[in-house]
Amino acid sequence: MKIDESLNRLEVITKRLGQEEVPLDESLALFEEGIALAAAIKTSLDEARLKVQKVLEKAKGTFAIEDFDL
Amino acid sequence: MYTVSEMNKVARQMLEGALGSVWLRGEVSNLKRAASGHTYFTLKDDRAEISAVRFKSVSPFLPAPTQSLQDGMEILAYGRATLYEPRGRYQFIVSLVQPAGLGALQVAFEQLKRKLQKEGLFDEAHKRPLPAYPMHVGVVTSPSGAAIRDIISVTRRRFPLAQLYIFPSSVQGEAAPTEIVSAITSAQRFSASHTPLDLLIVGRGGGSLEDLNVFNAEVVARAIYACQIPVISAVGHEIDFTISDFVADRRAPTPSAAAEIAFPDQEDVRRQLQASLVQNLRRVRAGIDRREERMNSRLHEYVFRLPGNKIDSLSQRLDMHLQALLREMQQALTKRTRALDHAQGLLRLSDPRLPLRRGYSITHISGEKEPLRDTANLSPGMSIETRLLHGTILSNVLEVKTDEDR
Repeated sequence: MKIDESLNRLEVITKRLGQEEVPLDESLALFEEGIALAAAIKTSLDEARLKVQKVLEKAKGTFAIEDFDL
Repeated sequence: MYTVSEMNKVARQMLEGALGSVWLRGEVSNLKRAASGHTYFTLKDDRAEISAVRFKSVSPFLPAPTQSLQDGMEILAYGRATLYEPRGRYQFIVSLVQPAGLGALQVAFEQLKRKLQKEGLFDEAHKRPLPAYPMHVGVVTSPSGAAIRDIISVTRRRFPLAQLYIFPSSVQGEAAPTEIVSAITSAQRFSASHTPLDLLIVGRGGGSLEDLNVFNAEVVARAIYACQIPVISAVGHEIDFTISDFVADRRAPTPSAAAEIAFPDQEDVRRQLQASLVQNLRRVRAGIDRREERMNSRLHEYVFRLPGNKIDSLSQRLDMHLQALLREMQQALTKRTRALDHAQGLLRLSDPRLPLRRGYSITHISGEKEPLRDTANLSPGMSIETRLLHGTILSNVLEVKTDEDR
């Protein structure tokens, strides 16, 4: 899932947890889902290494892509 | 209280912040060419004057070289007002000199600006919002310039989840405008056929007026305006404004600032995650608290018929359970999750009818309320009532045995 989708889902979960009629089972399941989502985002941030590539258009619509080092 | 250095520093910052780069018209006087190659002179009109300096290193390209400057000459000077802190001297640092009456660059800039503004290219309505979490971002700039280095280093710190795609272009010289336009076109084709780009940063680092003028080219402005990907323009230093800045969806004062604007800070994302977990935990706990209250009132109904000491011991047990529950809940954030399963179990445990559910029962002498704890008041022939989870048994006592009898 993309990070913005994950964060949106987290928001939906928080909103749902704030509603009075949520059954206990559901609220615990949602809570766990939220924790899993947050953990996944945190892990992807921890492991992220910025990727930089140089793109050259050799012919119209044909691209040569190479890693870019400073 | 200020020290002299502090005050001069503040004065310089105020001066530079308030004025930025300007065109200044005046007459040259007191012209001196230092051995260093710098040129010092005074610019004046009929009522005031200011010291001016043109450093040797500013730019090799000059429409009117300072060699041709003479006392008494009326000129247009482009530069920045500043304050030389060690001497507390207010002065004008000149980067470009033209004979008065021409101001060709400035005139062209103003004309193009008016024309495009009239056509609606600067309209706010055309400006698109930037994506909150751009994952694929194109950069149109020189691969060997300072701009790309700055953008990479800021992005690496703020949001390393992203990927940058450099579309190389020269950013100075006559060919630069055409190259920038074709790099912007390439980026759009790449976005359509290869990897969709969320955002495009177009720009260069600081430079001479001529260098920055590349981003005043009409073709560049129109290419940025027509770009299907949202564009941040990032040209030069804070105070440099170009036509590209007016047509872009967003202007960044520098290339580093473009990356700051483009990407969320991962520290903020982490804080947001933490905050949302804390809030979720509170809400789950509030849900459990509501149930606890409901249970308490049900307990109350049930124990209505029980004597006081029984109620005390039940509610004490309930309290114990609830406190354990609370502890578990608080550990949940750090322990991640399992504590909540316990919590659910503890809720079940605190049900006051649990002993009955397990098969225990409560017995009292018919017509009396007090549950029986021993056989002291019992004798054969008496009738007793036994309460089960469901239903009650009426019995007669056949025989009474004390613990010692066993």
